[in-house]
Amino acid sequence: MLTLTQRSESRRVKRAEQKLREFGADVVERIRRVEPPKLSVPSRSTSNIIYDEKSGFYTLGDKFGMRSAANVRQVKKFAQMLCAADFCKSLITSEKFATLREMYYTAEGWETGSFSDQAESNALVEDMEAAFGLKREDMGLMPEEDGAAVYGELVVREGDVRIDATKAGRAGYTIPPTIDDVEFLKCGAKRVLAVETMGMYHRLVQEEAWKKFNALIVGLKGQAARATRRFLKRANEELGLPVHIFTDGDPFGFHIAMVIISGSAKLAYINHELAVPNAEFIGVTASDIVEYDLPTDKLKECDIARLKQLQKDPRYNSEFWQTEIKKMLEIGKKAEQQAFSKYGLDYVVNEYLPSKLH
Amino acid sequence: MLAKEIFREFKEHSVSEFFRKNAAMLGYTGKIRSLTTIVHEGVTNGIDAAEEAGILPSILVAIKQIGPEHYRVVIEDNASGIPKKFVPQVFGKMLAGTKLHRNVQNRGQQGIGVSGATMFAQITSGKPTKVLTSVGDGEITQMEIMIDVNKNVGKVIGSKRLKEEWRGTRVEFEVKEVNYQRSRYGPFNYLRMTAIANPHVRITFVEPDGTLTIFERATEKMPKRPRPIPPHPWGIRSDDLLSLAKTSKAHTIANFLATELSRVSKKKMGQIERLSGVDLRKSPREMTWEDAERIVSAFKRMKFMSPPTKGLCPIGAKNIERGMSQILNPEFVYAVTRPPKVYRGGIPFIVEAGIAYGGDAGKQGENSEGLEIIRFANRAPLIFDQGGCVMTSAARDVDWRRYGVNPNVTPVTLFLNIISTHVPYTSAGKQSVADEPEVYEEVRSAIMDVARELRRFLNRKIRRREQMKRAGIFERYLPIIAKRAANLAETDEPDVGPLLEKVTGVDFDPEE
Repeated sequence: MLTLTQRSESRRVKRAEQKLREFGADVVERIRRVEPPKLSVPSRSTSNIIYDEKSGFYTLGDKFGMRSAANVRQVKKFAQMLCAADFCKSLITSEKFATLREMYYTAEGWETGSFSDQAESNALVEDMEAAFGLKREDMGLMPEEDGAAVYGELVVREGDVRIDATKAGRAGYTIPPTIDDVEFLKCGAKRVLAVETMGMYHRLVQEEAWKKFNALIVGLKGQAARATRRFLKRANEELGLPVHIFTDGDPFGFHIAMVIISGSAKLAYINHELAVPNAEFIGVTASDIVEYDLPTDKLKECDIARLKQLQKDPRYNSEFWQTEIKKMLEIGKKAEQQAFSKYGLDYVVNEYLPSKLH
Repeated sequence: MLAKEIFREFKEHSVSEFFRKNAAMLGYTGKIRSLTTIVHEGVTNGIDAAEEAGILPSILVAIKQIGPEHYRVVIEDNASGIPKKFVPQVFGKMLAGTKLHRNVQNRGQQGIGVSGATMFAQITSGKPTKVLTSVGDGEITQMEIMIDVNKNVGKVIGSKRLKEEWRGTRVEFEVKEVNYQRSRYGPFNYLRMTAIANPHVRITFVEPDGTLTIFERATEKMPKRPRPIPPHPWGIRSDDLLSLAKTSKAHTIANFLATELSRVSKKKMGQIERLSGVDLRKSPREMTWEDAERIVSAFKRMKFMSPPTKGLCPIGAKNIERGMSQILNPEFVYAVTRPPKVYRGGIPFIVEAGIAYGGDAGKQGENSEGLEIIRFANRAPLIFDQGGCVMTSAARDVDWRRYGVNPNVTPVTLFLNIISTHVPYTSAGKQSVADEPEVYEEVRSAIMDVARELRRFLNRKIRRREQMKRAGIFERYLPIIAKRAANLAETDEPDVGPLLEKVTGVDFDPEE
């Protein structure tokens, strides 16, 4: 069993606090020198979102915008950003977390007055993430929704509580929004097996696949939440576990895998903290549908359109993906991951997955 | 005595009956307009009388309702008073006056005015017009006057003498078939406009409901009196020429033309004779209508020096600004008096324009806003027939948006005054000026002169407002930035003052 002694989390928090303090100090210094306080924020416009072939995920280019307190259209936003930064710093020092919605409501009490809607306050948080190179979670702001379920040989510590992911009930350990706050204590697994549906997750838990493959089974519940992606990234980097992704054999399943691997364009400014470029998509592929003669549905209009989009997406610009997409369009069929039940409930564990996990 | 001199020049015209049948032409049409016309005649008379006597005019107007469509109108001035024997003529004889025969720029011009009001009162209520007047000799004459329509003479119904120290004239008309309304066409607006164009006049007005309004004078300086000037050959009409000829003392037409018209020298006589074919050695009293027409037609084909402009007395830009400021309390006012021009080849005129923004400027009345156009001719308000007037069309043709004015919203009053010995009215009602091309162009230029200044003011105002708004934003947010930044950095709050001054670059004007 691997034992982790280092609390990476405290280092991260220190870095966040430091960044916010530096921002404040810079503003104070500029005011003293009678210079307008400024902040350079990397541009998040589509023209500045670049697919980085080398790292394998979307990242921001080098365009940036200048937020200046001397600009009459920006000074309010600038003041709001300082209020938000101050609020975040107080979250960090008091070791609390707030959701974006809570921050939006907290702003009602700020001297600047409230935001006109939550989209405005969310955009401000994204500005801060991009400007400081910090995730919102690092600044004490957490997503609303919980992450995925994890089952397997992993022991974590959340605050004073130790949780063993094999002893947290059949539903497993639930990844909290504050995953960066969680300490990995022990890990007996050799790999991560992330599956799209909770149906498949429970099948794998029942069949004791976690033992058989020495794996942490992660039930993604569809498109992976930020916390889940962060968990996968940490498991991959901190625990050195390879990540395998098993989804339905349709364009939406493909893309669930791809967002884990290469990140989304929307979060390009933070993908280096989220993307797992060496994660592997293991199926269901179009070839699998043919090879295993799986029960299928006809591709719908929207599936075809989506597949054609993916063909042009730089993230799918590899021989493997281009072949599989083309093949799916040719056969005009898609299949769910649970379609393997055609051959018996344990077929997926005994036959399909072993052939994919070498 | 001054008044006696003035009234010595009275002349007679037997046309009462004609005008009785044409009351509409004199402005007695419609219930509101008729009342305004009565006020106009009385006030005009009063102001003219005071000015001629060199007295700063103070006019009182009171309108009292007696019954339905039944009012008493009182107009009182502080002028020189009227000698007793002239009272019946002034108030009871149409086309009798001191002005008609003189070619001079004046408010009334025809001399039918106040006797017309007597006539109207008499027709509608059957009551005589009551006159109190005193030349300031300790004695007040009180008379009740009616008009003998057939003979065109004023009949004295009753006469009294009162011993009292006072000077001026007070007239009381009792009229029916009229209505008081505080609309654009009513007496209130008429007096307001009169006050604007005559800043040396003080007007006190009591409305039927008892509301007292004082239009205070804005200057103590009397305007220059217009001087009579002989008619210019280009401006004269056949009937004018004929009536002048009838009263001339000259022995020959040639002599008559040279003395009674301006810019007609002896050297021109040969040419006039040749072009008209009229024997200029005839006596002017023998001149026929046909002769007059031929001479006038000859004039049109000849060259003359431009007419002298000394007979024209504009209000003056400064005085217009004073009048508008006093009555409208505007944020901005500007006026111009354009140099004299001529129309129809020879009739001199001057256009004046003033513009006021904010305060009480703009369209009057409830639920109305935007551009108000107030028109004057020889500083007398023109209230009616707005649509057909050259001043209205010139103002409408201006692209106001170019000057930062939305005619439906912006509170702007545009003042326009045409000064001339012969204002080219469209009709005998004298409420609108004809579309003479030269007059139109001149009015348009005058409007653009003042509108440009307004635009400059509005731009400054917008700039200043934006600057203040901008400064306000920084004032609000920079201290927050300083405080929160200090909190973040865990240090003392920096003084935001110098930076605030630097980014706003505004001197905070406490008046704004």
